[in-house]
Amino acid sequence: MSAGGDAGSIDDRSAEVEAVLSSYLGERLEADGPVAIEELTRIAVGWSHETWLFDAVWTTADGSPERRGLCLRRDPGNALLREMSDLGEQFRVLRCLESTDIPAPRVHWHEPDPDVLGAPALIMEKVAGECPSPWRRAGRQFYADAAERGVLPVSFTDALVAIHTTDWRAAGLDFLGVPGPGDDFARREIATWRTLIEQSGHPGHPILDDLTGWLEANAPTTDTLTLVHGAYRTGNILIDDDRVSAVLDWELQVIGDPMYDVAYVLTELNREGTDLLSNVVPRELFVDRYQERTGIEIDENRCRYYQLLYALRSAAFWMSAAGLYADGRNTDLRLARTQWSVTVALERAATELGY
Amino acid sequence: MDTDELLQRLSATLRNEVGPAVDGEYTRTQAYMAAVILEKVGRQVGSAGAHAEAERRDLVALHDDLAALVDDDRGPPALTAAVERARDASTIESLGPLIVELYRHDPEADPVIGQALSRVRTALRADIDRRMEIAR
Repeated sequence: MSAGGDAGSIDDRSAEVEAVLSSYLGERLEADGPVAIEELTRIAVGWSHETWLFDAVWTTADGSPERRGLCLRRDPGNALLREMSDLGEQFRVLRCLESTDIPAPRVHWHEPDPDVLGAPALIMEKVAGECPSPWRRAGRQFYADAAERGVLPVSFTDALVAIHTTDWRAAGLDFLGVPGPGDDFARREIATWRTLIEQSGHPGHPILDDLTGWLEANAPTTDTLTLVHGAYRTGNILIDDDRVSAVLDWELQVIGDPMYDVAYVLTELNREGTDLLSNVVPRELFVDRYQERTGIEIDENRCRYYQLLYALRSAAFWMSAAGLYADGRNTDLRLARTQWSVTVALERAATELGY
Repeated sequence: MDTDELLQRLSATLRNEVGPAVDGEYTRTQAYMAAVILEKVGRQVGSAGAHAEAERRDLVALHDDLAALVDDDRGPPALTAAVERARDASTIESLGPLIVELYRHDPEADPVIGQALSRVRTALRADIDRRMEIAR
C-alpha cells in the first residue's frame, strides 16, 4: 500500500513512463523495431503502489504484429507498509501462483533497479475485468446487481476456496515463512503490526496497549495452515462477466490460519448498507460453500479474534500513513488526514474489546 | 474572530470556492482534503479547553478509584506500584504502562485486576469519545 501524489503532473509522469517502458520492453520483447506504448492509463487504486495499464505494440522478427495488454506497478518508496512492501516478494508470489488454480495475473518482469523504470517495478499481464470500489455508491450498486444474478457470489467464494486449498508447499510458497505450532501465527501477526506502529513514529495510545495485551493473552492455536491472502474482499478482485478473473493486491499474504481471511470476509467493516458479505455474497451461501469445498469448518471464535487483530492492523496502517506525512516523506494531504483515521481505528478497537 | 471559526471559514472557502476551480484531479483532491483538515483542526481548537478539563477530571476520578481498589494491599504489589506511578500521569495517553502491567496478570482470574482494567477502560472510552467528536 502506498500513497501517490508526488510532485509532477500526471501528464509529465505519463511521458516519462511511456519512454522508460518503450525502452525496457524494446530490450525484452525481441521486437523488430521500437515498442509502442498505447492507451497508457494510471489507475487510482487508493493507497497501493503506482499502477499503470497499457498496451505494448510491436512487430516481431518475422514481421508479425503483436499487441499485449500489460500492467506496470512501481514503488515510489513511500509505501504505507514501509519495509514490508516488497515488489520482489509480490513477483515471486505471483510466479508461484501460476502453478495453482488461484486466478491471479501472470508476471513477466521484476525490475529492482530504480534507475531503469523510474522506481522498483514489476510488469504483469493486464487481466480483463473491472474492480469497482466498494466504498463508492456506484461500486456497491454493481455488487448488489451482481449478487442478484447469483454468479459472482459463488465465484467470490470459490476464489477464496482456491486460495485456501492450494498446496502452498508444492507451489513453493513456503518462502513466505511457515509459522510454528500452536499460537505462533497469531503472535507473528501481532509482532508484524507492532513493528509497523513503531516505525510510524506516531504517538501511541493506551487503547493500543489494551488491544495488544488482549491479543497476546488470547492468541488462538492454529491447527491448519493455508495460504492466506490477507485482504480478500471486493475491491481487491477483478471481475469479468460476473466471475473473478484475478485476485489482486498480493502484499499481505502469509502462510497461516485460513480464519484470518474468513474473518475479513465476515467483518461488517467490509460491507456498507447491506448484509451481503463484502457487499456481494449471502452469508449462508458463503459459509456453506466454503466449508463444503475446503473441508474447513468456520470457527466463529477465531474469526472474532482476528477481527480484533484487524483492528490492530488498521491502526498500524493509519499510523504509518500519518507518520509518512509527519516526517515529510510524502506531501499528500490525504495522509495528513489519516491521523484522525487512527482515532476511528482506536474507537473501533475499544468497541470490539467491549467498551 | 475566534480561531476555530476562522478555520471553519477557511475550510468552507477551500471546499466551496477553491476546490471547484482547480483543474487537475490530484490537486483538486488536495484542496478538498485541506478543507477537511482545517475543519477538523478548527473543531479541535474550539473544544481544546473543554476537553482538557474533562480529561483532568477523568484522571482525578480514575486515580481515586484505583487507589481505593488497591487499598489494604488488595491485588499484587506490582499493581499497587503501577497505580502509584500512574498518579503522575497528566494525560490519558500516559496510562499505557499501567495497562501493560495489568496484562502481566490475568484480568479474568484476579477480580482486582479485572476491576482495575474495567475502570481504566471507562476513562479510555470517555477519552476516545472526545477524540471522535473531532475525527468524525
